[in-house]
Amino acid sequence: MPKVDMDMDRGRIVAWHVAEGTQVAKGDPLFDIETDKAAMEVEAQAAGILHHRAAEGTEVPIGKPVAWLYAADEAVGPSPAEIGASEAPAPGNAGSGAPGEDGRASAHAADDAGRRDARGGPLHPDRGAHAPLARAGAAPQEQADALAPRAGDSDPECGDRPRATPAARARARDAGIDLAGIAGSGPRGRVQRADIDALLTTATPAQPQRSGSLAVSRRGGGSGLPVVLLHGFGSDMTSWTPLEPHLGDRPLIRIDLPGHGRSAPDAMPDFAALAAAVRAAFDDLGLARAHLVGHSLGGALALALADTRPRQIAALTLIAPAGLGPQVNGPALAGICRATRADSLAPWLRTLVADPRRITDSYARLAMDARADPALRAAQTALADAIFPDGTQGFDLTAALDRLVPPARIVWGKADAIIPWQHALRAPGRVGLHLFDHIGHMPQIECPEEVGKIVGQPL
Amino acid sequence: MNAVTEAVRELSYAEALREAMDIALDRDPRVVLMGEDIGVYGGAFQVTGDLVHKYGTDRVMDTPISELGGAGVAVGAALTGLRPIFEFQFSDFATLAMEQIVNQAAKLRYMLGGAVSVPLVMRFPAGSGTGAAAQHSQSLEAWLAHVPGLKVVQPTTPEDAKGLLLAALDDPDPVMIFEHKILYKMKGPVPEGHYTTPIGTAAIRRTGRDLTIVASGIMVHKALEAAREMEADGIDAEVIDLRSVRPIDRDTILGSARKTGRLMIVHEAVKTLGIGAEISAMVAESDAFDYLDSPIIRLGGAECPIPYNPELEKAAVPQVPGILSAARDLAKGRV
Repeated sequence: MPKVDMDMDRGRIVAWHVAEGTQVAKGDPLFDIETDKAAMEVEAQAAGILHHRAAEGTEVPIGKPVAWLYAADEAVGPSPAEIGASEAPAPGNAGSGAPGEDGRASAHAADDAGRRDARGGPLHPDRGAHAPLARAGAAPQEQADALAPRAGDSDPECGDRPRATPAARARARDAGIDLAGIAGSGPRGRVQRADIDALLTTATPAQPQRSGSLAVSRRGGGSGLPVVLLHGFGSDMTSWTPLEPHLGDRPLIRIDLPGHGRSAPDAMPDFAALAAAVRAAFDDLGLARAHLVGHSLGGALALALADTRPRQIAALTLIAPAGLGPQVNGPALAGICRATRADSLAPWLRTLVADPRRITDSYARLAMDARADPALRAAQTALADAIFPDGTQGFDLTAALDRLVPPARIVWGKADAIIPWQHALRAPGRVGLHLFDHIGHMPQIECPEEVGKIVGQPL
Repeated sequence: MNAVTEAVRELSYAEALREAMDIALDRDPRVVLMGEDIGVYGGAFQVTGDLVHKYGTDRVMDTPISELGGAGVAVGAALTGLRPIFEFQFSDFATLAMEQIVNQAAKLRYMLGGAVSVPLVMRFPAGSGTGAAAQHSQSLEAWLAHVPGLKVVQPTTPEDAKGLLLAALDDPDPVMIFEHKILYKMKGPVPEGHYTTPIGTAAIRRTGRDLTIVASGIMVHKALEAAREMEADGIDAEVIDLRSVRPIDRDTILGSARKTGRLMIVHEAVKTLGIGAEISAMVAESDAFDYLDSPIIRLGGAECPIPYNPELEKAAVPQVPGILSAARDLAKGRV
């Protein structure tokens, strides 16, 4: 049973895609699992013939076998006792059997393991012999050692381990932070020391603060003008993490839009309602003056807010803002709303960026975890239908942009596949344009250092 | 002599070496100089200069054009009570004397149970940049540093050239001094009189927070120039002058790597299997590993003999722009 979610300790097998005795290839979908947060499909980690499946509906603890893969020429042994065990065995008694089994059964299971060892030990799946479809941990210790992923192993699980520098690992270890949940700012998403430092200074409260009806988190710090961050459609406040180290020590205030992140999935009949909710949250913050940074839909909301609260907005940075033209990538919005699995979400996430390699499978899994709540997905689907009807931007803020009082700049990637960057050309002359080649819809993630510099420049 | 003139006195690197030999010849009758054309000619790079006129041909001896023979005489002289300083015309010719250096000088103390030692100093004009092509431009310090029993130093300033040469003479075992030919004319402050620079200590030439550059030989100066240019980008580089290849100053390097979390090593010798690999492994094997926030980066000589063409000669070893861009990437976490 793989760990697909940071908090899970067991997963329920919802359905098998493969019958007993079937030959499977590496990568074939094997079964669906459900945790208390997410549903997910699990693929075969190796080729072989599937036997000893755990029954559908069974809850299997993390690391326990859910079935065995045999080589083509291998005799199928008796069903191992631990298959389908519905409780995690106690430490030291690992793999000895299901609860309620007596000592004999445990001994039998141990003998069974011993016999397999005598035949040459449980071999690595890649070498053809049977091995449990499991991480090491719940199997008897000697098997665990033999099955533990090794450096350089072709085991696909190696590819999912977070990339992190030794310094970042040490700091995360000390702070009790799980690296798996962090979007690294280094090459290929590598987590570096600064990423952990940023997280630690963020000090996101366990129970988010509320402003109006919306979830808000803050990064305290220097005495500069506070920066209020409004994320885009389908995202949440954590999408600012890569940019934050590049915003100096200015106080940051992040707002989750309605139906996003930890804000309630309230129904928003139209853009005006959405803007009113954000305005109420902004008013609730009680800021004398702030620098607004909005991305995509958040950019449109920032414009709307500046239109109604011009005296409190000292400056605006609009990153690939919505609301400046009718075109929007409807299929991508619909695909993101519809996705219930990382596999279906990942291709759409990849349309957001110029270099699709930025979106790794584990990134997509984490993004899907954040969207696991069906109520949140339903709220976003309804919101998309209300403000992007028929794949069109149903709201127009060009007039607001024309009469904009605070100084503003627009940042856009010229490889944006979600909203055409040419919408930036609607801006009046006094608005600064920063256009980046080879950058997609997410400049704040694709070139955070550059965007940080732009936000930091005095207007 | 008052303190003020002492502080501002400058000598070239070659003059500082000559002054060290002059002091040594003057204070210790066991000290002799040996080498090809070091007498009336003054040495291939004019380092011994006119010392033959001051001390005579018994103390400043021209040896025949046989590095193996000359080195053998020097090892024998050291074994039997003298303190020879043997000069190679080019460090490349160490290859001709390897038997005497590697199999005799380095091992005799060990093989004779400590009954003897070989207090021998050898001086090697090394490095590229003079248009002397493939057989006269190499950096072979790592070859000798691989041999237990030898000490290997690379002074990078006139002060250290003098101090390390005098420290080498105090050492009971063979010490190999690699002198970069381009540095011979470099001027710098040099204290008067006798002093020593401890063998086995590196020097932090510039303190910084953002990354550590460990450099050897002439690369120290290129790294310092790159570090000055990096200031404009807000990058604060620490530059360590390795100074002693064997023994290596582990504490200084590990301490700096722990502090900055980013390590780059620059040397002129061929990168593959070089000193940079040793330093990199030393850091990766130590507790400083936990402090690294980037892969360790090495810059070194290309996989080719040193070319004669001046442009290619430059391209074959690290230069300031390359150090600068590698260090920028490293400091910004882009590596």
